[in-house]
Amino acid sequence: MALVHRFLNGAYIFRHCPKPSASCPFLGTRFADYCSSSLQKPVAAPGKTSSQRNSEGDLQGHHQREVALDITSPEEKPEVSFDKAIKDEIKDHFRRLKDDLVNHWIGPEGRPLHEVLLEQAKVVWQFRGKEDLDKWIVTSDKTIGGRSEVFLKMGKNNQSALLYGTLSSEAPKDGESGRSGYCAMVARSPRGPFERKRAYDWSQFNTLYLRVRGDGRPWMVNIREDTDIIQRKNQMYSYFMFTRGGPYWQEVKIPFSKFFFSNQGRIRDAQYQLLLDKISSIGFTLADKVDGPFFLEIDFIGVFTDPAHTEEFAYENSPELNPRLFK
Amino acid sequence: MSWAQAILLARGLSRGWGGICGAVLTGAPFSQVPLQAPRGLHCSAAAHNSDSWLVPPWPEPRKGPTKALTLHEELFQQTLEGARDKANFVRAVQNFGQHNVHKRGHVDFIYLALRKMREYGVERDLAVYNLLLDIFPKEVFRPRSIFQSMFIHYPRQQECGIAVLEQMESHGVMPNKETEFLLIQIFGRKSYPMLKYVRMKLWFSRFKNINPFPVPRDLPQDPVDLAKLGLRHMEPNLSATVTIYQGLGATSFHPSSSLQMPSSRDSTGTADPTEPHIVGIQTPDQQAALAHHNPARPIFVEGPFSLWLRDKCVYYHILRADLLPPEEREVEEIPEEWNLHYPMQLDLEYGRSGWDDYEFDIHKVEEGPVFAICMAGAHDQATLAKWIQGLQETNPALAQIPVVFRLAGSTGELLASSSGLEEPPPPEGQEEEEDSQQRQQQGQS
Repeated sequence: MALVHRFLNGAYIFRHCPKPSASCPFLGTRFADYCSSSLQKPVAAPGKTSSQRNSEGDLQGHHQREVALDITSPEEKPEVSFDKAIKDEIKDHFRRLKDDLVNHWIGPEGRPLHEVLLEQAKVVWQFRGKEDLDKWIVTSDKTIGGRSEVFLKMGKNNQSALLYGTLSSEAPKDGESGRSGYCAMVARSPRGPFERKRAYDWSQFNTLYLRVRGDGRPWMVNIREDTDIIQRKNQMYSYFMFTRGGPYWQEVKIPFSKFFFSNQGRIRDAQYQLLLDKISSIGFTLADKVDGPFFLEIDFIGVFTDPAHTEEFAYENSPELNPRLFK
Repeated sequence: MSWAQAILLARGLSRGWGGICGAVLTGAPFSQVPLQAPRGLHCSAAAHNSDSWLVPPWPEPRKGPTKALTLHEELFQQTLEGARDKANFVRAVQNFGQHNVHKRGHVDFIYLALRKMREYGVERDLAVYNLLLDIFPKEVFRPRSIFQSMFIHYPRQQECGIAVLEQMESHGVMPNKETEFLLIQIFGRKSYPMLKYVRMKLWFSRFKNINPFPVPRDLPQDPVDLAKLGLRHMEPNLSATVTIYQGLGATSFHPSSSLQMPSSRDSTGTADPTEPHIVGIQTPDQQAALAHHNPARPIFVEGPFSLWLRDKCVYYHILRADLLPPEEREVEEIPEEWNLHYPMQLDLEYGRSGWDDYEFDIHKVEEGPVFAICMAGAHDQATLAKWIQGLQETNPALAQIPVVFRLAGSTGELLASSSGLEEPPPPEGQEEEEDSQQRQQQGQS
């Protein structure tokens, strides 16, 4: 990614600075998941650096962050050597390519085939260290001019991730938005060597499992499929996750058959089943129109096969809305 | 600009440029346009009556509010003296129809009414939405030929109808047969508002009951009732008991006697109303765990944490202990002969045989046991100390155990452990321990 950044921005890259998203605002699309700046991990004090930084003062932003890092955290000395960073990235990519080729001989994703076929429960994302937080992008409606704030940090004893912030449904005064107020946390799509797109294959599982601890607010879980077709970039499958609140950990099991299809944020008339063989990312959104602080603590996210669940798809297509499907 | 204002502008244009300046710049509603507009250069000589220009080139600065009233807003201004409630809103809406037989500007009026609904508190009232839809003239906007139905017939009105339905959707109001009939009468069966109505019916009925932890829409106003609702919401164990330690309906407790005497309503009426309420919940399992707790280890009162019920945020505190290190953990095994009627421990698993393994390959986050939860009106140590005293009635073992108060600010986040770099350490940690030991000594004496 350092190569890409260099060509786009001409700025120096540190190991710890947020990666892909400075390029995304240039694309200009509003759909928040891939297109806003990622979180600056609060090193010393939470909430010190805002989670949303657009690319306006990108160079200045880098210098500011450099200054902030110097003052507040002596243990992370950023290395300014550009050539070393490039060399490290190249070596990293070649190493990943070599691993990829070798793993192909062992089995899918480097595990023997019998292990993969018999697997019935798999942990996909866990939060046991700071590097696990790097796999997530956190956005809020600040990208369209709203006032919600959201931050992501490690929770107690580095055993869970805490997503917290304030939701504000004050609409931005830009003349075209009527409503506002959302916060989201999206996973980055898995990448192979040289940033090739990869996808998750969950075709043998049928339920999503989340171990969370919330504050009673209803969240929405969105799953995006991996696709190269531009029109499909805004399509996703969603379902609701209701948190109970309270001090006890909550296990949320959502079967994949319950996810409904939506395009550009609107639910579609023609509903199709979520196909699990090319999943690109998962996301959590909070947009329940209630202003105030919120938090969500996540332990891990996994997928498993629920043998008691035999439903294939929960939503029928209605002949009134889709006459063409019923001819 | 609505079509009414466009007609106004056309009228002004026909009377001359001075007419435009006068009508548009002053921003007056069209009913107040002076009938005698000054003449421009292009008008005929016959209409030339007066010699002077009546319109000043720029309006004088207003002393009142700088925002000009939108069209028809005076209908809502009239009810300013009265209360902002449903009757006044309905009256304002009906006044629009009375002043205006042809219902000019109904689209703008409906948008205005939709904006005003929240002030009048009627945004979840289906009858009011039906009344708003009733403002539309019927049968005029229905397409009559195939070409009219191909293109969006009367697009502004259809957008307005969709806006009404969208506000219904965002407040969770389910439309009924009357809405359907009105929409068919106004827009026809193939129109966009009707399509939106069909979608609302479908998806609302699909998602009506998907919340596994439903919260009633009308939350109780009394803080004690709200606290009880919140505590029952959080605690999954149905055999938990809710106790009100302070507040309406509290049971009075005497440290010396072993009997708990419920106080009558009269005495709670004379209780100090400025005292914050304290409501707690505890399950029998938690009581047993607290009784077995090792007095050498302190227990902590942590909080406040936030809980959202619909749109109200309440705060709760918990009483918990730290996790025991693995060597001190003992697993109590209840022998099978203890109860012959039903098994005390049931191990139902999905696994069909040795090859089935539905466990995740991760060490789940383990935290120390929670002994009780409470919701109090105030978040300071004195109130929580009263809670602990109340808990001591049902858990006499609590008197021996040191209690440490770890109260955070109101960020709503869960506290880090004591070695966390990110949170500042609790400010009065040392003082709390001394206080708790004093209390412990008082409890023992």
